[in-house]
Amino acid sequence: MHSIYSRINNVSAMLSTCLMVLLGAISLSSFLFTSTPPPGTLAVTNVKVFPGNARRYANKYQDFAFVNFNLTADLKPLFNWNTKQLFIYVSAEYENRQGTKNEVVIFDRIVQNKEDAYIDIAGRNKYVFRDVSASFEDSTPAHYSLKYNVMPYVGILTYGEAARTVDPVPFPESQDLS
Amino acid sequence: MIWKGLGLITNTESPIVVVLSGSMEPAFYRGDLLFLTNPSNQRYQTGDITVYKVPGADIPIVHRVLETHDLVSDKRGVVAAAPLAQQQLLLTKGDNNHIDDIELYQGLEWLERKHIVGKVRGFLPYVGYVTIAMNDFPQLKYALLGGLGLLALIQRE
Amino acid sequence: MSDILQQYLEGKIDFEGQKLVEQISRNILIVATAVSFVAGFATQSLQVLFGVFAAFVVTLSLAVIPPWPAYRRHPVKWLSIKETKA
Repeated sequence: MHSIYSRINNVSAMLSTCLMVLLGAISLSSFLFTSTPPPGTLAVTNVKVFPGNARRYANKYQDFAFVNFNLTADLKPLFNWNTKQLFIYVSAEYENRQGTKNEVVIFDRIVQNKEDAYIDIAGRNKYVFRDVSASFEDSTPAHYSLKYNVMPYVGILTYGEAARTVDPVPFPESQDLS
Repeated sequence: MIWKGLGLITNTESPIVVVLSGSMEPAFYRGDLLFLTNPSNQRYQTGDITVYKVPGADIPIVHRVLETHDLVSDKRGVVAAAPLAQQQLLLTKGDNNHIDDIELYQGLEWLERKHIVGKVRGFLPYVGYVTIAMNDFPQLKYALLGGLGLLALIQRE
Repeated sequence: MSDILQQYLEGKIDFEGQKLVEQISRNILIVATAVSFVAGFATQSLQVLFGVFAAFVVTLSLAVIPPWPAYRRHPVKWLSIKETKA
């Protein structure tokens, strides 16, 4: 420790250890805040299916579903000092006529403050909703759920579900646009 | 050795990665560190943040799963050893991108399980920025090497 | 002239000073870690945590890194030069 250089060296080494301890403590502290949000409500008001063309192959037939929904949820309990943001997403779960189990995110949003964490949305699907087999015919009715991902400043990412449709919602027949 | 051991436990070839692009902002910025696992008998779900490598592309991409489709095996007489974990088709999208990743898949329509390096479980901000700075500013690398060399020459002890 | 400059640049302190510096750094850093975590947790703000920690680190660096005279109170007593037999 007899030269300036070695003192700087020593202090920064001790400093790094302390920083690691602090970061570890912050990420562990997230586990103290394990309050789950109260159950929200998710209701699908309207589903329509229209035929169209696939994005990539202009001649390939594809069904497109359009979903309108009403969503309320109170996600404020998820915000603590280590919460950087919440990523919330509405996804549809159903089985298509080939027996494939599908989970499709139709809507998402990033929530960055506690104030914005009270959700009250009447929305429609943000993303193109299509089936891997190109048609929704004979698919099972779909359950829609609101899930969230808590992203911390430091530490482990956690997931959860905040709302779910009570009854599954069937897909209607593909409507002819003419 | 520790690195390889860590890779074995987490079942992924690189359990710690540095975020290289801004496509997951504001959650992940360039230079953040991510900790990955790749549970072999668990299926991936929508909302999971995955790191994947498309065959033909060198760089791993960190994006969120937008769609999952679990195919039923149509081979007769074959009982699946693990639940449908191995036959998933996935579609991903970066939080900061408007459209999904189809353009990045180099011709594929869906990602398969084998393209996924791992799922993001933990996060540490800023720590990886040194590797990015070294790559983006090669002058920095040379300056650092030059400085160390000079120090080795001047120092008395 | 260059001798004095070199002395200042190297910033040597004596052995008692080194022990003191080691003790001070270790204790202050432990206190800094604990206090900044408690302060941050109480105010539920990561900014407070790192602000308090940074303040501690800056003060510690000013107290410990420059070769203050306080660390030179016990200079090493070299033995007097003895004539060697030719």
